[in-house]
Amino acid sequence: MTNKNPLTGTGVSRRDMLRLGAGGIGLGLFGGVGPVPPVLSQASSSVAANQSGKILVVFEWFGGNDGLNTIIPYGDPLYYKHRPTIGIKERDVLKIDAQFGWYKSMRGMQRLFDNGKVAIVHGVGYDRPSFSHFTSISFWHTAAPNSGNEYGWVGRTAAGLDPSGARDNMIVNIAESQTLAVKAPKHVPLVFVDPQMFKRGMFAQEKPVLDTLAADREPVGDAHKYVLEVTKSAAKASEVVRAAWSAYRAKANPDLRLLDLDKVVALIEADFPTQLYYVPLRGSLFDTHVNQAAPHDRQLQYCSDAIEGFFSEMQRIGRADDVVMYVHSEFGRRVPENTSLGTDHGTAQVNFVIGNGVKGGMYGKPPSLSELVLGDNLQSTIDFRRVYATLIKEWLGADATTVLGQPFETLGMIKAQRAEKHATP
Amino acid sequence: MTPRFQWSPGPVSWQDDVSPLPPSEWNYDRAAHLLAHAGFGGTPEDIEKLADAGLERAVESLVRYEPLPNPKMQPFGESGFWDPTLDRFPESRPDASDRAEKYGASMGVNVKPAGNRPMQPVSDRFFYWLRATMLETRRLGYWWANRMLQTTHPVEEKMALLWHGHFATHENKVRDYRKMHQQIVLFERYATGNLRDLTIEVARNPAMLYFLDAQYNVKGAPNENFAREVMELFTMGVGNYTEKDVRECARAFTGWYFDDLAFKMDPEKHDDGIKEFLGRRDNFDGADILKIIFEQPVTAEFLAAKIYRFLVRDEISPALRKQLGTVLRGADYAVKPLLTAIFKSKDFYSAASYGGHIKGPVEHMVALMKHLGAESMPGVPDFNQSTIALGQHLLNPPSVAGWAGGKAWITPGLLIARGNVARDTLIPDMTGFRDWNFNAGTQGGKQGPNTVPPNGWDGTNESGQKVSKGGYLAQIKASGAVGSSTVIRKIGVIH
Repeated sequence: MTNKNPLTGTGVSRRDMLRLGAGGIGLGLFGGVGPVPPVLSQASSSVAANQSGKILVVFEWFGGNDGLNTIIPYGDPLYYKHRPTIGIKERDVLKIDAQFGWYKSMRGMQRLFDNGKVAIVHGVGYDRPSFSHFTSISFWHTAAPNSGNEYGWVGRTAAGLDPSGARDNMIVNIAESQTLAVKAPKHVPLVFVDPQMFKRGMFAQEKPVLDTLAADREPVGDAHKYVLEVTKSAAKASEVVRAAWSAYRAKANPDLRLLDLDKVVALIEADFPTQLYYVPLRGSLFDTHVNQAAPHDRQLQYCSDAIEGFFSEMQRIGRADDVVMYVHSEFGRRVPENTSLGTDHGTAQVNFVIGNGVKGGMYGKPPSLSELVLGDNLQSTIDFRRVYATLIKEWLGADATTVLGQPFETLGMIKAQRAEKHATP
Repeated sequence: MTPRFQWSPGPVSWQDDVSPLPPSEWNYDRAAHLLAHAGFGGTPEDIEKLADAGLERAVESLVRYEPLPNPKMQPFGESGFWDPTLDRFPESRPDASDRAEKYGASMGVNVKPAGNRPMQPVSDRFFYWLRATMLETRRLGYWWANRMLQTTHPVEEKMALLWHGHFATHENKVRDYRKMHQQIVLFERYATGNLRDLTIEVARNPAMLYFLDAQYNVKGAPNENFAREVMELFTMGVGNYTEKDVRECARAFTGWYFDDLAFKMDPEKHDDGIKEFLGRRDNFDGADILKIIFEQPVTAEFLAAKIYRFLVRDEISPALRKQLGTVLRGADYAVKPLLTAIFKSKDFYSAASYGGHIKGPVEHMVALMKHLGAESMPGVPDFNQSTIALGQHLLNPPSVAGWAGGKAWITPGLLIARGNVARDTLIPDMTGFRDWNFNAGTQGGKQGPNTVPPNGWDGTNESGQKVSKGGYLAQIKASGAVGSSTVIRKIGVIH
């Protein structure tokens, strides 16, 4: 054997290697990142070209949030009839009007609402609802209830905004594994939880060989093809994400419990080109079948505080006008409580759309507590795809009909002047 | 010894063809492919043995493993943390103090008779056990990983791993390592046994009963958690039953509960009335319900596809799913005939079955060690830490749906972590050790760099006395709160 070239068999020529080695961002990571990482300024300059503009952050409350104990219809005596023990007492309600109020631990959301920044959408659901966590969330992810779509609605929205798929890091998904909602026809979403893990350990001498891992090569099978694609996306993104995280200072503030939203703040502050962020709450924390009062109280407080903290961070970095957050679950809970001081899987739920660009208030017709359907459940009054269409069209300015495959009436909850302001750069 | 120079995937036309591979097509590479998918791979010597045996005997020896001696399997050595006062462990810390307020004691400890914080002993006891069972479960995971590595029956361990993710419960909710251990034993025993029997055993398994709220499923007030998951996730898949079937199924399982590690049925709490379930009508109990579920052809297809996707490749065509379902049902849900059919089929050696499977982190770590010829799981890198970093925490699947598997194992971040784990395995990071007990204080103390003296360890301790033989690996310097004093800790490996 006369093989002296260590790259023989890797499918990479020496010329490719040089090109990869000189390719700027690569995988090179020696030593620490300084206070003003040069790579971040690279990221910033690429943002100028990409003009992230308006940003949508989807904050998914997986587990089936009990909407009736979130926005409480305390003015309806039927509510207490259905929920004699776990119903929220009037004294524990932060009142909005004579009918509805926030659950007491949601002061953060209440403050945002009182400042006109929160749209509460009642009765969101879909026809022929599934009571399975996993099926129902897949309907929400694909925007295809009782049907299917290979790609997620956020992934398709990215294609609507950037049909050529030319923009890198268009979608960020803070999750252990890729959420179906972000599976995209044209883009490779960036998926991670811990930015510090997003780093290849190596000695300097190993870099040229490891860089070749992202080179073009012939896949052997379908799964292998996928791994090769992700290899490239990892190489492009790892350093910029870590640099952004390392530059983000507010993470040290113990008063800001942002769940995973702090990573979104870090990337927005670093002028990341991402327009679509998807953050599923980890650990099915809203799955409360038994003794739900204490965990639900805690979950709502954590989430509500995190959302308020997130927007105060947006204010601090001067991006509050550019970001809208959308909160939903996979279903609400059954109207009557069960015998284990909890609630079982249900149908319609309450959604939140939050931001300076949002016309605050309550939207949609609250479902009746007297005319229950499908075994003691709420009849939904708004198809969730109308909320999606509102976000896609009114906020992001993409063609919602193409993304969703059919037209849906929007809800008019985005302030017009915001849309105009961004229409002219 | 033949290195595996290149893969030899069969022609595309073999895809979905379950007829057996002709003996003339058997070779070293295909033996390697078989061992990688049926088990955790092996060394070139292991592969050589299978290649020499021929397809027929190779598959037979893997699937009908019982006669093969398995000398290295050891029972789990318990630390003995558990004692009977921990039975019926409180669901939450407030629950623990509620009980203590009511009875003056909880989990075997009394409320303080006087003084501040009377509930503190109860609270301490609660968190002690959470920590103890979590740590013991990590030992359990390490023990199981060693079985996967050391067994002479790799198919048994591979299938047990599948059933753990399929009938998923996690220690984080179960909070009792003994119940998790009981499940591993169950999944090994039924690894390639009868699937109906396994499912009935699972429905009677204490960890599962607790995990899916069986104690709340009582006559007159059924809790649907188990009833729904048993059909949706364990047997048929969504769309093959109605909401009414879920409610009737829940009624049939009322009164099923457990007492410590034993299954119990409480006739008082069991709803003995008539149930209508999947078109049948009688006063069914839980076992009857499961038998009806296993009469449905869709159940065989659902489970055969699950096994196939775990062992072979992520995607399965509807036609192949149907064919494999017929094989499983034809064998009355015995798993061995299905495995034999899959491993001998042309489909298994077709192009589509090459490069179509992404190993889960546990499978990946065990396979890595197998390929390296390791005799046991090393201490560094730590098996649990590595697999958790890669997205799979053994005995703690993320939800009742288990791990998503397939492409979900790979994201940019997780792929980088895989690279790092491979590197940590080849170059174990002994000097990167951090002293977990080190307290930096509030005034900026810090843990200094770890160093290895150029001449190695002289074998003496701080007082200059010789200690056990070993190698000096690292010396950790840590400064105190004000940075003036330095503590040196030596870390060695004792043989």
